[in-house]
Amino acid sequence: MTDLYLQDWRAWTPHREAAGESRLDTQDKPAGKAVPAMLRRRLNLIGRAVCDMLATLDPETNRIVLHASRHGDGERTLEMLYGLNEGDPLSPARFGLSVHNATAGVYSIASGNRCSQQAIAASGSEWAALIAEARGYLADGQSSLLLVFSDQPVPQRFAAYAPTSLSAAVALRVGSQPTGGAQRLVETMIPTGDSTLQPLDIIDWLMGSRQRITCAISRRGWQLEPVRS
Amino acid sequence: MTTTALEQELKEMIIETLELEDVTPEDIDPNEPLFVEGLGLDSIDALELGLALQKRYGITLESEAESSRQHFANLKSLAALVESRRQQ
Repeated sequence: MTDLYLQDWRAWTPHREAAGESRLDTQDKPAGKAVPAMLRRRLNLIGRAVCDMLATLDPETNRIVLHASRHGDGERTLEMLYGLNEGDPLSPARFGLSVHNATAGVYSIASGNRCSQQAIAASGSEWAALIAEARGYLADGQSSLLLVFSDQPVPQRFAAYAPTSLSAAVALRVGSQPTGGAQRLVETMIPTGDSTLQPLDIIDWLMGSRQRITCAISRRGWQLEPVRS
Repeated sequence: MTTTALEQELKEMIIETLELEDVTPEDIDPNEPLFVEGLGLDSIDALELGLALQKRYGITLESEAESSRQHFANLKSLAALVESRRQQ
């Protein structure tokens, strides 16, 4: 299996304490400074956070972006469906930003990064899918790429059908080679594990409050280990 | 040149409909271009604005027509369009 190293990360959630960790942004409203105001006005909170994190992790703007989210912008999608039901015409701006690759698209426009992008939804296996896709790109010759995992609360009407999720986003720069300070991602097959992994779980793991994360659907577990010199 | 009541109404509609952060009605010069230069609106804004004109004033524009481009040139031309269709 292609080796995968975590080179750097950034995260956003108002639901955790940063406790001195500068890579975690806990503001209620992320700045969104990486995006010009005329583009930023259309982003939701997750979108503002993601664009800022990607800009920080990829100053060269030459890396592929894989963006996973289980539900995407459920609120916006649902509002449009309510509107259609009332016979109202669709808002073009709202429609444009409701698609699953919208945030990555805005980042691409704002940064000028014209590399491939991929939007992923995997019924609770988003993390496993991100890692599998990342290994594919690294095996194919990419030296590093950007992974994003974000989700927000499911709209109230559908809350009973999905696990509770809190607003959180995490962006990681991973590569095929260890760079300074990089950690190796160790993946193991396991018989059972957490039902789903959400962005907040990944943040807890990166912050060190969990040693291992697991996903029952994909029967895999992940740990980070220091790179031996 | 003073801003007419209709121009003021359109300014507020543009800001509200297009969710223009940090833009006030005073920032919109009636003679400056609305799109690309001037206010800096884009093609999605044009569609959104077309929808708002339809909802509020019952005005339907043909998206491909050269006349639509002229109507959307600046706030003055937009106000002239609404004024003329109101009188019909």
